[in-house]
Amino acid sequence: MAEQPFVECRGVSKAFGNVSALHEVDVDLYRGQVLAIVGDNGAGKSTLMKILSGVHQPDRGTIKIAGEPIRIADPHQARELGIATVFQNLALVDQRDVAANLFLGREPVRAGIFVNRKAMREGARRVFADLRVHMPSLAAEVGQLSGGQRQSIAIGRATAQQGRIIIMDEPTAALGVQESQKVLDLVMRLKAAGTGVVIVSHNLRHVFSVADRIMVLRRGRRVGERLHAETTPDDIVKLIVGAGRE
Amino acid sequence: MPDRGPDMDAKTLAVLTAAADQPPDVSTDRLLARLSRNRDLVLFIIAALIFLFFSLTTSTFLREFNLLNILRNTSLITIVAVGMTFVLIAGEIDLSVGSAYGVLTVLMGMLVVAVGLSPWLAMPIVILAGAAVGLFNGLFIVGFGIPSFIVTLAMLAGFRSLALIISGERPFTPRGTDVFYDLTGGNMLLPLGEDRVLHVPWLIIWMIPVVVIGGIVLAYTRFGYHVYATGGNREAARDTGINVARVRLSVFVLTSALCGLAAALVFGYLHAAAPTTGVGFEFRVIGAVVVGGTALTGGRGSILGTLLGAVIIGMITGGMVLFGYSQNVGDMATGLLIMVVGSLDLGLRRHLRSRAW
Repeated sequence: MAEQPFVECRGVSKAFGNVSALHEVDVDLYRGQVLAIVGDNGAGKSTLMKILSGVHQPDRGTIKIAGEPIRIADPHQARELGIATVFQNLALVDQRDVAANLFLGREPVRAGIFVNRKAMREGARRVFADLRVHMPSLAAEVGQLSGGQRQSIAIGRATAQQGRIIIMDEPTAALGVQESQKVLDLVMRLKAAGTGVVIVSHNLRHVFSVADRIMVLRRGRRVGERLHAETTPDDIVKLIVGAGRE
Repeated sequence: MPDRGPDMDAKTLAVLTAAADQPPDVSTDRLLARLSRNRDLVLFIIAALIFLFFSLTTSTFLREFNLLNILRNTSLITIVAVGMTFVLIAGEIDLSVGSAYGVLTVLMGMLVVAVGLSPWLAMPIVILAGAAVGLFNGLFIVGFGIPSFIVTLAMLAGFRSLALIISGERPFTPRGTDVFYDLTGGNMLLPLGEDRVLHVPWLIIWMIPVVVIGGIVLAYTRFGYHVYATGGNREAARDTGINVARVRLSVFVLTSALCGLAAALVFGYLHAAAPTTGVGFEFRVIGAVVVGGTALTGGRGSILGTLLGAVIIGMITGGMVLFGYSQNVGDMATGLLIMVVGSLDLGLRRHLRSRAW
């Protein structure tokens, strides 16, 4: 891995009251690579994810983006820095159509105030064509779409925002077999297009089907990081429960 | 959320098998989905049917309750209902509109009768006072985080008391003759060819720009999009960078400012400002918006729907009177209509959601 990481975290720690949620964690994110973060409940996965997406700020440690030390103040700034997050709740407005959701909060306008529907539809068509996602209709209400389609819209929004790193929180947890596979295919296409993907997941089968590297957290500490080729699900499970070598 | 992988897989399989056994009635669903999206068209058809019904069953409906009269009778309700549509879509409610309208009408009367201002000068002052009322409501709702239902319920009582106290429980009646009274209470004469003249009540003329501008702002501007997003999923709206607090404050300011406009107009129309103006007004306003297809749960609705809702309620209330029933029966019919529209809407959406696979 001679290439410079896009995001470099060193010694990141975070405590909530007396509870240490993350302790001295190092993590590197590369473009065009999929990193999976796994661990038991309370291992610190979502704290780390929320620090990367700007929801929480670390108590200690440094974050560099493209080599520059930086403090990510809020999710808005994270997006501007190229880190887009797809939260588990997807942040969709069910009553609105696909195009409106894809551009939520960033609607293109004409004459300063009027939403440019045409630009929105064209942009949406481009995003879904790039991701090779089939949307039945851009005018369909998002609440009436399937879980996989909803996940695709949330991921599409992240790519439409020029996310160079896309963080996905449990992207397959609410999906069936076929829909999960479609989302995993989508992850591979994002990777092929040069986007870095971070997946937080419980499902080791899904993790092993897409991840280049797998990082294991236990009780707020990084207990291991393995390249996909050099590890097995058993190895990872041992790291998660703390029974194996460290 | 717990990992429900295997569970969901079984469910998917079940759905797929069921789908293979008996394909869902796609054409009916497509029609229902279209109806669910084009609810304004559905409302229009319902309005036309009600119009037809009363025209055929009563001998006087067409003469007494032509469309212009219905629009005039509901124009003040419609003006405030335009603002209320924004409020409900943003996921809030404003129960104080009847009392705000009442206290602003008293203010209009006092400015003209007691202070001696020209009604033309008093009108913008009353509209600004209305905006201040909305800001006051919004401060408690957005600033202190008290639910809008609680705040505006309190203000429903508060503003009514204020109207009664500052007026000394007496109405204000202007003596002067100003063109203002003709341009609010009179009719605009519209020549139609040879020697036919159409009398269009000025109240309707005042209502038109409110409806048109309100409709455009809601449906086509960025602000309108953000109102829908705020009411549909406030967290998502905030996460994507929408200034949710500003949106919520704006809808209350807008609605109360429109109460101010309605107050100035009713003063001109009735040539009087009574402190009891607008008792029960909130029910008719919210009724028009809800019958017009705007969801009380936020995120859904339209101004055209609200206009049609007001017209439908106006026709039913007026038609009931022609059948010999009182206004009270009209209100009961309106209540019934709200129930029917609400449950039909919910039922339709549940059905469509169940077919989302």
